[in-house]
Amino acid sequence: MDKNVAEEKMAQLEWYITKHCLWQYNSRAWDRLIQNERILTKTKQLLRGENAKDEDTTADKYYWSEAMSLQEGFKRYFPWVAETSKDDIAQILDLLKERMDHTMVHASLNQELVKEHY
Amino acid sequence: MSCELKAKDRTGVINPIFTCQPAGAQFVSIGVKDCIALVHGGQGCVMFVRLTMSQHFKESFELASSSVHEDAAVFGALNRVEQGVDVLLMRYPDLKIIPIITTCSTEVIGDDVDGVVIKLEEGLLKTKYADREVHLIPIHTPSFVGSMISGYDIAVKDFVEHFAKKADKTNGKINLLTGWVNPADVTELKSLIGEMKVDATVLFEIETFDSPIMPDGNHVSHGETTIEDLESTANAIGTIALNRYEGAKAAQFLENEFDVPAIIGPTPIGIRNTDTFLANVKKMTGKAIPESLVRKRGIALDAIADVSHMFLAGKKVAIYGNPDLVIGLAEYCIDLEMEPVLLLLGDDNAKYGNDPRIKALKEGVGFNMEVVTNADFWELENRIKNEGLELDLILGHSKGRYVAIDNNIPMVRLGYPVYDRAGGFRHPVVGYAGAIWLAEEMANAIFTDMEYKHNKEWVLNVW
Amino acid sequence: MPYHQFKCSECIPERLHHAVDKGETEDLTDALPLGYLNTIPGTISERGCAYCGAKHVIGTPMKDVIHLSHGPVGCTYDTWQTKRYISDDGNFQLKYTFASDMKEANVVFGAEKMLKKNIVEAFKAFPEIHNMALYQTCASALIGDDINAIAEEVMEEMPDKKVFVCNAPGFAGPSQSGGHHKINIAWLNQMVGTGEPVIYSKYVINYVGEYNIQGDQEIMKDYFHRMGIQINATFTGNGRFDDLRCLHKAQLNVLECARSSEYICDELRTRYGIPRMDIDGFGFEATADSLMKVAHFFGIEDKAQEIIDAEYARWKPELDWYAARLKGVKMCLWPGGSKLWHWAHMLKSEMGINVVSVYTKFGHQGDMEKGVSRCEPGTLAIDDPNELESVEAMYELKPDLIMTGKRPGEVAKKIRVPYLNVHGYHNGPYKGFEGWVRLARDIYNCVYSPAHQLVNLDISKDEIPTDKGFVTRESLSDANLSDEIKNSTELREYTGAYDPIPALRKKAESNVYTFPDPETGEWRVVPVETLRNSKIVDVE
Repeated sequence: MDKNVAEEKMAQLEWYITKHCLWQYNSRAWDRLIQNERILTKTKQLLRGENAKDEDTTADKYYWSEAMSLQEGFKRYFPWVAETSKDDIAQILDLLKERMDHTMVHASLNQELVKEHY
Repeated sequence: MSCELKAKDRTGVINPIFTCQPAGAQFVSIGVKDCIALVHGGQGCVMFVRLTMSQHFKESFELASSSVHEDAAVFGALNRVEQGVDVLLMRYPDLKIIPIITTCSTEVIGDDVDGVVIKLEEGLLKTKYADREVHLIPIHTPSFVGSMISGYDIAVKDFVEHFAKKADKTNGKINLLTGWVNPADVTELKSLIGEMKVDATVLFEIETFDSPIMPDGNHVSHGETTIEDLESTANAIGTIALNRYEGAKAAQFLENEFDVPAIIGPTPIGIRNTDTFLANVKKMTGKAIPESLVRKRGIALDAIADVSHMFLAGKKVAIYGNPDLVIGLAEYCIDLEMEPVLLLLGDDNAKYGNDPRIKALKEGVGFNMEVVTNADFWELENRIKNEGLELDLILGHSKGRYVAIDNNIPMVRLGYPVYDRAGGFRHPVVGYAGAIWLAEEMANAIFTDMEYKHNKEWVLNVW
Repeated sequence: MPYHQFKCSECIPERLHHAVDKGETEDLTDALPLGYLNTIPGTISERGCAYCGAKHVIGTPMKDVIHLSHGPVGCTYDTWQTKRYISDDGNFQLKYTFASDMKEANVVFGAEKMLKKNIVEAFKAFPEIHNMALYQTCASALIGDDINAIAEEVMEEMPDKKVFVCNAPGFAGPSQSGGHHKINIAWLNQMVGTGEPVIYSKYVINYVGEYNIQGDQEIMKDYFHRMGIQINATFTGNGRFDDLRCLHKAQLNVLECARSSEYICDELRTRYGIPRMDIDGFGFEATADSLMKVAHFFGIEDKAQEIIDAEYARWKPELDWYAARLKGVKMCLWPGGSKLWHWAHMLKSEMGINVVSVYTKFGHQGDMEKGVSRCEPGTLAIDDPNELESVEAMYELKPDLIMTGKRPGEVAKKIRVPYLNVHGYHNGPYKGFEGWVRLARDIYNCVYSPAHQLVNLDISKDEIPTDKGFVTRESLSDANLSDEIKNSTELREYTGAYDPIPALRKKAESNVYTFPDPETGEWRVVPVETLRNSKIVDVE
């Protein structure tokens, strides 16, 4: 998929997350990176019709639940999601992960992210 | 048949009747024009006092905090007073008076507020605000001493002491120190002395606490007592402080310092106390009591005759709240043939034992009566729930509402704060107008209860 | 950086970085207000203290607890009957409050003995209550009373009593939020893990950061119970002290107000491996998504769908009646900490309301990230607002209403802006599907109040309309509506009760909820007694 098109589609998914989700706001940088990684990876897997359950733990179940909700939301809001190829989904979701890491962690202005204790 | 004065014998408080000293000082400061107090302590000491005021008056009042946080609590917080004063003066160009009200935290850490006021006067005010009239008034109200009542008393005295200035001649007025009252009380008091053609400096001019929504502008509620009013208190013919515990300190100060004769009390609740008040005004000013007040009084007596011996006689009442209010109400209830069997005063003021009104009750009442000091609401509730106290009516502020609600006892909301009835501050309890409202409101509360409980409610078919 | 310069705050440059105008193309990396910093003295900020954050926000909603504050009486007085956290068993927590009533002699000579006597007296007055929360205040913290030692002593002498100690004096932090943090951690360290609950369902959650304002918790509890999910404990609205000692025994923490209680969720995740799932219980879509997300976790999507379908069918026509009439209404959403992000987007997407400003009194930057993200470009976001800034913002933005607290609401009233109480609510509960309709109804009643229409008329100057004796709300709200909407037979105004909570409690009494047995998975009725009062066993 053309990069600009992928970026544009990624932006739509990002919009959905900012308006509907809370998982990306955990209060520490390391925590946000894990949330982004686990939830967006599983979302990508689900959208590509792949197995998204890694282990039989409550933590994994949790990330999977967030991913399930997220991909349902994506599909509900953007009909193109269901019609996009696996490769293109991977491309868009990877961009999305990059984008979330950027805004929520690396370029974040939130000064609390680096505090040691909760 | 006796009246007993005793202190609560538990250490702690279950449901407090009063809050602490800084609240009283804050209540005083909102009565003064161009004045915003800076409360030196944690933010809750201001935020909640403002909240309670807004619940009672359905208005917002301006009060600031020095916002003492962790570092300040450890290292001292005077820098926050300095900054707070500066910020207030920068942003409120009309501001002239900043009382600095201490709290428990800043008294415990020992912040020298008087010292910082001198420092600010010598420094900031002279340099940055040289062209402005600014008054900083330290008011010491540690929360672990006294109560909101003494906080009020101290603050009135500190305001008067700061401003009172002797001039060559008298101002021809009396000082009228109302104590902790509602706007409607001030209206009634001014109407009474107005009929006598007596001019007064009223501390405090709080009728404007009941402020309007206007088609333009921002009409923030605040009192109207001015610096000039406070200055001229030293030049009055005399001072009448209506309440022994809320303002008497200032009256005493004016008498001692400036030879302004003081009359303390009585709280003009009921016909008899209002008569005495008018007699005191007459004595102080030489002005006659006019026919119009005879009529006004007559209307009150007429209203009382309608309800007292038919409905109010023999009714057992518990009364709690500000001491002058409670005692005044008890006296009036007795005149109405009621039996105020339990009075609850929410602090431990040692002066209650020598209060002539309490002494008179001890000598005079024809039923069993208890006056409990340092009281909390458990003193009331426990007597009802566990000791068989039977009541027909409760008089007091909204914080005690559940005692009435849960025990099915009718209640008339009086005092401060009243937030569970609309417009409480709009009705006077003092003067002849107050006597009418009280008698009728008590009767109406009992009527509603009769109907709710189907207890001879048919009597009212033909009343 | 699109920081917002208030004219009234030009003289205090530190304030500049506490407000931003959300730009058309900017994101969180361009601008984010500062947050949770020390308050500038004298600004007339709206913040409260850490003690109130601990005691009044989080502690006191626990319903079977004697809440005793060690200090002068004012702290206790102030945090009593000034919020609306109800409970389903008589509102003990609203009706009773306890103070050690520290006096000058105690400050000088110490107050520990007096405190102990106090605790014993309080337990004696209410023999049926076995739990106490003991709160430090500024005064007792500064004189250095060891209240932990006293609590230990009492528990040794009265083995059937439990005393939890919360050391969050008023000065402990820039705002209420300091106290939220302290009580979260204190509860976790002292109480969690000391009880063993009765597990009656295969699906067990803790419901965290929910304070049962006007019954919010009971609305959500009904949904969870209809899904067969056991609420092990609610932190803390309508919560039992003993249940909260068992927080470690849930499979999932479902978190609403992250501002006040993310700390305990984060620690429960670290120490006990319980995942933290943030949800939004406000708004139709948000509630539905939240229920479905919880359902995904347990694999009970059909249960969630049943509720969503039933609730949409029952309430959506009522929400839409209001939504048609609220479109384009301008609102300042000025709550304390979490409602700005819970509500901002749902107000826009489900009621058509334009949120023109959000503020937070005690939020952190994380709350602003959420709030700013969820509102539209052009919104003014303010951290730790003060009185003059609020007034300036209202003059500038000319909102149709503001959603804020009681006292700031009175400020708004004077410049002819009506307000709704966003802390204690006007006529809540506002959570869940029915709750959201109730909020829409309250906003509608507020904005289209015929009496409010009169506030701008200056009878001394303006021409006075003399042709009407009254004006209806509908004539104001429906003026520009299409006939299709006006005459719709689908849409309708709110038809629920004045208070929906008694019906929910009655429903629970009739043993209607079924849960899957934790062992066999067989669905069976669990009696209300178990739901409400199951015995917690002490563990060391």
